[in-house]
Amino acid sequence: MAIVVIGLSHHTSPVEMRERFAFAESKIPEALQRLRSAGLAEEAVILSTCNRVEIYAALTRADRPAFQALQRFLVDWSDYRGPLNDEVYSLGEPQSVEHLFKVAAGLDSMVLGETEILGQLKRAYELALRHRHTAGRLNKAFQRAFNVAKQIRTETNIQRGSVSVSSVAVELAEKIFSTLHDRQVMVIGAGDTSEKTARALLSRGALSVIVSNRSPDRAQALAEELGGRAVPFERWAKEFEKIDIVISSTAAPHYILDRAKLEPLMKIRRNRPLLLIDIAVPRDIEPEINFLESVYLYNIDDLQAIAESYLQYRRDEIARCEAIIREKTLALLAAGGPPPLAPGSRPAFGHD
Amino acid sequence: MDGLPGRNYFLAAVVVYGLSALYSVFLWRKGFREDDRVNYALLFVAGILHTTAMFRRGFWFDRCPVNNLYEATTFLLWTIVAAYLVAGAWPRLRFVGAFAAPLLFCVGVFAMMPRLDNPYGSHPEFKHDWVSLHAALILLSYGAFGLSSVAGLMYLTQEHDLKFHKMRAVFSLLPPIQRLELVIGRLLAAGFVLLTVGLVIGAVWLKLPDGVSFLDDPKVHWSLLVWLLYLALLVMNWRFAQGGRRLSWGAVGCFLFVLLTFWGVNLMSPSHH
Repeated sequence: MAIVVIGLSHHTSPVEMRERFAFAESKIPEALQRLRSAGLAEEAVILSTCNRVEIYAALTRADRPAFQALQRFLVDWSDYRGPLNDEVYSLGEPQSVEHLFKVAAGLDSMVLGETEILGQLKRAYELALRHRHTAGRLNKAFQRAFNVAKQIRTETNIQRGSVSVSSVAVELAEKIFSTLHDRQVMVIGAGDTSEKTARALLSRGALSVIVSNRSPDRAQALAEELGGRAVPFERWAKEFEKIDIVISSTAAPHYILDRAKLEPLMKIRRNRPLLLIDIAVPRDIEPEINFLESVYLYNIDDLQAIAESYLQYRRDEIARCEAIIREKTLALLAAGGPPPLAPGSRPAFGHD
Repeated sequence: MDGLPGRNYFLAAVVVYGLSALYSVFLWRKGFREDDRVNYALLFVAGILHTTAMFRRGFWFDRCPVNNLYEATTFLLWTIVAAYLVAGAWPRLRFVGAFAAPLLFCVGVFAMMPRLDNPYGSHPEFKHDWVSLHAALILLSYGAFGLSSVAGLMYLTQEHDLKFHKMRAVFSLLPPIQRLELVIGRLLAAGFVLLTVGLVIGAVWLKLPDGVSFLDDPKVHWSLLVWLLYLALLVMNWRFAQGGRRLSWGAVGCFLFVLLTFWGVNLMSPSHH
């Protein structure tokens, strides 16, 4: 019995198409049942996330008609009537198994190396297992995929570092402060990224958040959401003595914090370290401030550059991950299936 | 065996410290991203050789080996490498070796200078327990000051990387600067207490040769100057809340002063005490 994959992902199709093909979780058992009762697959798992819709199946005969039947099922289930070019891919062994391992390890994800997909894959597998739509072949392949993902996570740096602006800000804070547990955060201006960054800091233990915005209602609403308190925009500087991390994202056309304003405040703070995250465009904080002792200023470009470097660092690890995946794929196929094709050979069927 | 026992082992240790210092250049260039097991292993081997050298000398004379400048220096270095090997049991702290290895190598080469290891036969200068304690405490205090300068170098590296938005600031395994500042402050305080107690013991129990007075001894003047320097550093830190950068420069600068003047002052001292 051969393992095959058919589906579409963010690599091959836009979100408008993926959402058409997506399976509601409550409907997946029914879809699996129909796949098997129609004789399209001996075993099957359906993975449906915002970035991919895939059917993993074990087939007695993985030939062209079998793939065409699976694609027809996918199209009929979603009631899709539009044209299809290269959006749907179908893979036979060993590419199908390699693909499964890559998906589990986050190598096929939009954010390289992310771990959320592993949880989604586990849930998809458990759903199929619970309804008895998997047996020896897929059980072994999925268990191996989870092990490979774990091995890649521990032996390579594919998941190292932060690749979003908010998580980079948290990482910087952790390089400055011994602990985030007793840190006070101030959000000036209430943008989406600053909210995410404040949430990320809170999730890592930051003590509380003070929100200041030109619109008092907006400040109050965000403060309530974050479990902090709001202060009038004119008074934010008065709170500075207690603050360790500032996230600024106002729409002000000029600097709201400059060297002349901060210098006396730093004396009051007895030179405790201060991390300033300026994600506003135009910038809110005068760059000169970075020359003050114990002050660390990062703007949006700095944060994005770090995130991009991390991403490059992860990309550099891909070759190591792929070597592990190739080795494990060959081992799995040698143990329980027909003789595998040589690595790098063409899949049974490419994009339909 | 050349001269007094244990020198060959210490020479071997210095060679391995040198290899570790070379490897540290690679770790610096890599931005401390990797858990440096190789460097830890090198310093572990050097530490074993170093300990053997000290044990051989200690057992040969049947007393703590802090009887001349060579022994004093090797004892000081030993406190640093021992502290590193203990801290390095935690993989996240192993990068400290990249900062400690160059210091161990450079001071180790100085210690090998022949004039520092004068034979003292069966008449070492430190004959009494109190005097041995005086020497041991002072050397331990220098070990603590040495470690504080290592932590200071780490602080300055990390602070520079954070200020100038170097990727190494987040990629490296260096600890947060606030923790480093705390460590520097505590090591300086511990070193200062050890130095104070050591000097008091020396002042009360040390018997100088006839005709030699404490007041004429450059080593005493130098020790008091070192004591005052560290006192000023600590007071500045506690009283005036100077930033971590100044504290780090102070820790590095004061220890450099100790290193650069230690041998000269000891060789000038008429009592060689």
